[in-house]
Amino acid sequence: MTAKPLPRIRLSPFILGLHPRHPLVVALAALVVSAIVGLALAGTAGAGPEAVIDALVEGTLGSPFAIGTSVNNAALLMLVAAGFTIAYRAGLVNVGGEGQLCLGGVAAAAVGISLPTGMPPAIGVTVTLAAAILAGAAWAAIAAWLRIRRGTSEIITTLLLNFIGLALVVLMVQEPTLLRQPMTSSETLPQSEALPESVHLPLLGLHRNPATIAIVLAVILVIAVGIMLHHSGAGLRLRAVGLSGTAAARLGVPVERTAFLGLTTAGGFSGLAGGLLVTSAPFILVDGFSSGFGFSGLVVGLLARGSMTAVAAVSVLFGFLVSGGINLQLAAGVPSPTITVVQSVLIIVIAGAAWWTTTKPTRSWRPSIERSAIIPAEEVPA
Amino acid sequence: MTITTDTATRGTTAALLSLDGVGKSFGPVRALDAVTLTVRSGSVHCILGENGAGKSTLCNSIYGTVSPDTGKMTLGGSDYRPRNPSDALEAGVAMVHQHFSLVPTMTVADNLLLGRGGFRPPRGKLSSDLDRIADSYGLRVDQKATVGELTVGARQRVEIVKALLRDPQLILLDEPTAVLDPGEIDALIATCAALTVDGKSVVLITHKLGEVARAADEATVLRAGSVVGGGRLADVSLASLLELMLGDNKAIDRTETRRRHSNSGSDAVLAINGVTFTRPDGNTALSGVDLSVGRGEIVGIAGVEGNGQSELTAVLSGALTPDGGTVALDGEDLTSASPARRTAAGLAVIPEDRHTEGMIAALSIAENIAMPRMTQYRRWGLLDRGRMRADAASAMSEYSIRASGPDASIGSLSGGNQQKVVLARELSTEGLRAVVAAQPTRGLDAGAVAFVLERLRDAADSGAAVLVSSSEIDELLAVCDRIVVAYRGTLLGSIDTASPTAASDIANLMTGVSA
Repeated sequence: MTAKPLPRIRLSPFILGLHPRHPLVVALAALVVSAIVGLALAGTAGAGPEAVIDALVEGTLGSPFAIGTSVNNAALLMLVAAGFTIAYRAGLVNVGGEGQLCLGGVAAAAVGISLPTGMPPAIGVTVTLAAAILAGAAWAAIAAWLRIRRGTSEIITTLLLNFIGLALVVLMVQEPTLLRQPMTSSETLPQSEALPESVHLPLLGLHRNPATIAIVLAVILVIAVGIMLHHSGAGLRLRAVGLSGTAAARLGVPVERTAFLGLTTAGGFSGLAGGLLVTSAPFILVDGFSSGFGFSGLVVGLLARGSMTAVAAVSVLFGFLVSGGINLQLAAGVPSPTITVVQSVLIIVIAGAAWWTTTKPTRSWRPSIERSAIIPAEEVPA
Repeated sequence: MTITTDTATRGTTAALLSLDGVGKSFGPVRALDAVTLTVRSGSVHCILGENGAGKSTLCNSIYGTVSPDTGKMTLGGSDYRPRNPSDALEAGVAMVHQHFSLVPTMTVADNLLLGRGGFRPPRGKLSSDLDRIADSYGLRVDQKATVGELTVGARQRVEIVKALLRDPQLILLDEPTAVLDPGEIDALIATCAALTVDGKSVVLITHKLGEVARAADEATVLRAGSVVGGGRLADVSLASLLELMLGDNKAIDRTETRRRHSNSGSDAVLAINGVTFTRPDGNTALSGVDLSVGRGEIVGIAGVEGNGQSELTAVLSGALTPDGGTVALDGEDLTSASPARRTAAGLAVIPEDRHTEGMIAALSIAENIAMPRMTQYRRWGLLDRGRMRADAASAMSEYSIRASGPDASIGSLSGGNQQKVVLARELSTEGLRAVVAAQPTRGLDAGAVAFVLERLRDAADSGAAVLVSSSEIDELLAVCDRIVVAYRGTLLGSIDTASPTAASDIANLMTGVSA
C-alpha cells in the first residue's frame, strides 16, 4: 500500500468501466486516504512504512493459517454487511448487528450442545445454524415491531439491543444452570462446553488452513442478495418502501410487512454470522466471542453503499486488516488500535464522499441502480 | 425565432437583456435549443409555453442556477455570464421562484434581512427602503407579521419586495399566478405595470394566456425547448399564441365535446353510504356523505377547497379509514380494504398529491407503472425487466409521454408527463370498474388537461364509473354527466351538466346558497 495503489485507483474506474462515483470507486479512494493516515500513525509509533507493510503482509498472507483466519473474518463481515444492505434498502438502518450476532451465537451454542451426539454433520450444522438465524431475526424483530407499531427509531432500539445481547452472552457463560461448562475446579473458565464434533463447521480442507465453508456460504448469500435486490419483486418493493412509504402503500406494496421483513432478515444474517463463529474453532461460546464483527460489518455496509460487489470487496479487505492488525502489534510494535483508527477515518471519508456525490451529481452517464437508490433523484428542470 | 429578432430590431427602447442561441441539455433531453430573444428596458416580457417547454430552464439560465451549454447572453450591452445567483443579483437580475423561499417561523423583516452581510442587520434602512417600495409600487408588507400567518398572496408580495430591495433592473417571475386568487392576480399585474414605469423590466413565466393579454408588452412562445414565435402583443393575436403553444394538440372545446349521456340507470358501481370522518384536530371533514356513480357515468365534485373533497377521495383510495359509513364497488365492501385489494377489485385512483402518493420519483417510469402488478412480471421468481420496459414503452407512445426512455426516473419528467404516467398506470388496471380522480389536471397545461379529460371520458365510455373532483368548474362542466358540490363536509345537489343554468347553480351551492 505504498505508492502503487494511487495510480491504479485513478485508472481502475475506467479500466473496469465504472462510474467515478460508483460505490466501489469511492470505497477504494477512501481506503487510500485512510492507509496514508494509518502509515502516519505507525510512523509516530516509530515504525517505518516498510516495517508496517511487512508486518501486515506477514499477518495476513504470511502463512496458510493467517490467510485462513482472514478469509473466515471476511465471511462474517460479508454476512452482516449484506443484511445491513437489505434493511437499508427499506430505509432502515440496522445498528444492531453485534447484538443479533450475540443472540445467534447463544442459540447456536444452546442447540449445538443439546443435539444428540453422533448426528451426521450435515444435519447437525444445518439445525444449529438455523437456530442462530432464527435467534438473530427474533432479536431484530423486537426493533422492527417497535418501529412499525410505535414509530420508535430503529437506530436507537437496535443500538440498545446490542448491549442487552452482549450482556446475555455473559449471563449465559457465567451461570452454571445455563450454558456454563460443568465446574470441575476453581479454574474452570466462564465459557460454554465445547460443541460436539457433529456440529463443527466443515473446513475447506486446504493444507494447514483454518478456512471453513463459511466463506462459500457468505459468497453464495451475497450473490443471492445482489440478485434479489436488483432483479426481484421483493427488491423493488424494498426500494419503494425506502424511497416513499406513502406512494408505495398507494401502489399496493405492504409497507409495514416489507419493512418488518427487511429488518428481521438483516437480523437473521447477523445471527448466522454468530452461529458460524460458535461452530468454528474453538467451538465455544465465551464473553467477547463476537470480537466486534457486528460493528465492523455495519462499517462495511456503510462503506459499500448498497453495492454487493463493494460488500464483498470491502469485507475481504477488512477481514485481512483485522488479522493484520494483531501482527502489527507483535511484529512492528505499533498499537493494534491503529487499525481501529484507520477504520474510523474510513467512515469519516465515506460520509464526506456521500455528501460529495449528493451535492454534485453527474448526470446521465450510466446511472446505476445503487446510485439512484441512495441518492435522491435530482429534478431535471424542464 | 425570426419574429422576436424582428421585433427587437424594430423596438424603440433599448434592449436590456439579449439571448443569442442559448442551448442547454440535461443528458439526452434538449431542454433549450438555440433560444434567441430580447427583453427591452421598461417592458413586461412573457415567456409562454406548456409544461416541459423549457420556460423554467430559460429562467434559471438567466438567474445563474443553470449554465447554458451554448450561446451567449448580453445584459445592458455587456457580456453576461452568471455562474450563480449571486452573480445575477450583482448584475441587477432578481428572481421570484414558483415555490417561495421564506422562513415561515420568522417575521417579514427578519426574512427580508436574511442573507444580508454585516454584523448588525440594517433595520433602520430596511424601514425606509420598504416605505420607498410601498410608495413607488404600491407593495405594502407588514414588517412585524410572521410569514407563516400570511396568505399566499401576501407571501408573494414579500418575495417580490425581497427581490426589489436589491434594486434590480430585471425581475424574473416564475409562474407567479399559479397560487393566487383573481384579486391577487390583478394586484400582481398592477405591480408589474408600476415596475415598468420605473424603467425596470419584468420577465413573466406563465402558461395562462389570459394573464398575458393583461400584463405583457411582448411575448415569446417556447415549445420543446425552441422559440416557436412571439412578438409584441399589439401585433400578434392571443389565438395565434395559443396555437403556437399547443402545436398539434387541440384545446378542449368546452361546449362541443360535452358528453352524450350514456345513461347509467340504476346500477350503481361505486356506492358511498353515510361516510363520516373527523380530522385529528376535531373538525368534521365528512358528515354522512352519500354518493353513487353508475356504470359509464362521470360524476364531478366541485367546491371550494377544504370542504371535504380531499378527505373523500382519500377514503376512496384507502389512505384514510372513515369513522363511519361504507364504500362499496359492485357490491363488494371496500371500506377498510388495503390499496392492493382495491386495485384487484378494479378501482383506479389518481391521487391529489402526485409527488407523495402517485409516484416514486427516484424509480424509473417502467418500475412506477409495473409496481401495482408486479406479480404479472414474475419469471423464474425474478422480475422480467424486458417485458416491464416493453409495456412501459408502449404506454409511453400511447399516452405520448416525453422522456428519454422507460428507464428514465419519473422524477426527471415534467409535471404533465408525470401525470400521464400515473394515468397510464391507473387506467390500465385489470378489470377496471371505477376511476377516482382527485384534481387530475392541477398544474397541467392546456394540452395535457385536454388529454387527461379525454382519457377519463374514454374510461367511462368503456363502462367504468368515474368520479372526478376538481376546482376547475369549466373542466367539470365539459366532461361530467352531473356535478355535486362539496360544502362543509356534505355533498349538495346533483346538477345535470346539460342544464343551461348548471354553472350558476354550482356557484350558488359553492357559496352555501341552496339551489
